[in-house]
Amino acid sequence: MNGIALDFAGVLTGLPGKWLLSGFLMTIYVTIAGSVLATILAVLLLGLRIAPSAPVRFVGIAIIEVFRNTPILVQFLFWYFAAFSLLPSSVRIFISTDHAWAVLPVNNLILSPEFLSAAWGLGLFTAAFLAEELRAGLNAMPRGQREAAISQGFGHWATLRLVLLPQALANSWQPLVTQYLNLMKLSSLASAISLAELTYQVRNIESYNAHTFEAFAVGTALYLLLGLVLGQILTRLGPRPHTNRPARPTPSEAAAKVVGASSDA
Amino acid sequence: MSTSASPLIELQNVHKWHGDLHVIDGIDLKVGRGEALAIIGPSGSGKSTLIRLINRLETISSGEIIIDGVPTAGFTGRALRELRTEIGFVFQQFNLYGHLNALDNVSLALRKVRGVPKAQASERARDLLDRVGLASKAHHFPSQLSGGQQQRVAIARALATEPKIVLFDEPTSALDPEMTGEVLSVIRELPKAGISILVVTHEMSFARDVADRVAFTDGGKILELEPPEVFFSTPKHPRTQRFLQQLLSPLSVVGAA
Repeated sequence: MNGIALDFAGVLTGLPGKWLLSGFLMTIYVTIAGSVLATILAVLLLGLRIAPSAPVRFVGIAIIEVFRNTPILVQFLFWYFAAFSLLPSSVRIFISTDHAWAVLPVNNLILSPEFLSAAWGLGLFTAAFLAEELRAGLNAMPRGQREAAISQGFGHWATLRLVLLPQALANSWQPLVTQYLNLMKLSSLASAISLAELTYQVRNIESYNAHTFEAFAVGTALYLLLGLVLGQILTRLGPRPHTNRPARPTPSEAAAKVVGASSDA
Repeated sequence: MSTSASPLIELQNVHKWHGDLHVIDGIDLKVGRGEALAIIGPSGSGKSTLIRLINRLETISSGEIIIDGVPTAGFTGRALRELRTEIGFVFQQFNLYGHLNALDNVSLALRKVRGVPKAQASERARDLLDRVGLASKAHHFPSQLSGGQQQRVAIARALATEPKIVLFDEPTSALDPEMTGEVLSVIRELPKAGISILVVTHEMSFARDVADRVAFTDGGKILELEPPEVFFSTPKHPRTQRFLQQLLSPLSVVGAA
């Protein structure tokens, strides 16, 4: 390391250490809030997108295409600078006021224009992708599943809810997990609207004591850790397709199989 | 079997177009209570469409279908959904709900369409699985069952809402030959319980042994409709004759063509 003396204590202790912890937690909070919003909005968007009525479907397509095909940074800026100012002033004042009950550890305010814009922006942006992944999962369902439900007297929505979606969800779970992981990573862009999340705090350290390399190294490691943990949790919590039961291999068996297959080749 | 005074199902001049294609061409048909009707015919003759029109998996282009004295061609929405609970449908590819075990496959419509409480619905589902000889497989998922077992669960599912009619769309065509027997023996019990069955099939032995009447369809019309003993021994229509001849000695006909 020519001329670079690494000093991790300079970012892990004292004020910088506190900032990193606070930013890391804020990234987690905004990821959770964004994911919950994304899930709810995805169900609504999917409902519009596959509604029996053509005008309703068109509304769904329009919303999905707008939020899928514009940069999330632009969307953050829009919600934070443009949309927020359109709220009634009483609401804006309420949001901008410090409320003790809205402070999470470590000193992270979640009722703030920054947090709400970021969570909402992440939620809507991700919902557009989730809805499309779910729709792809639905389209991949054999036509017979729908026909069987219709022939039993289920209506459009009951067929979706009871027969098609549970299976589509299981089939498209991995791509859905990818979208939730993307949401977590995209939260770093909310630093542009001053949300004090991990990236924001890393840059804060940079300007505070110029430990640029160490700060970014630790920040990157924390994102990696969060991504790996989140991916594992979501994969384990997710529904599983019943197609290969009961012989569903454990991960180690599956790995052994892959190794075996490649050595055969 | 009776086709007398009040048929359970009556088709009146039913037509179905797919674009320019005239799939069903003015069919009139009466099916009695507890009657077993086999529908045979070459591929693309409209035989599957015919039964799919009865529970409206296909829309009717024109004509009327009277079920139990009620004209149903105009049914939409709730009335149509209720009609469908009175008509069981069994598919060639079984179409069991892949995410549910056998018991839940059978009880789902009871619970969610009919609103039967869960315990009661499960009880009835267990009885039905027992009736098709699969009580021991109640907690197996479709992917854990053989084709014949899946089709028997599908029949139990079709019977869950106590329909008066069960429609079968080539119920044994996707099965290995050694499994067709177990499915056909379940199907043949239904008319004895007063259920009318319409079976689109390629199983001539089933048509001969179980059906009260056999309908031969071609070009969207029913060309012949006779009891099996008449149908198989003295078919009147030349196309029926050719079809049966083809079945009996396929190689000679292919060679001649």
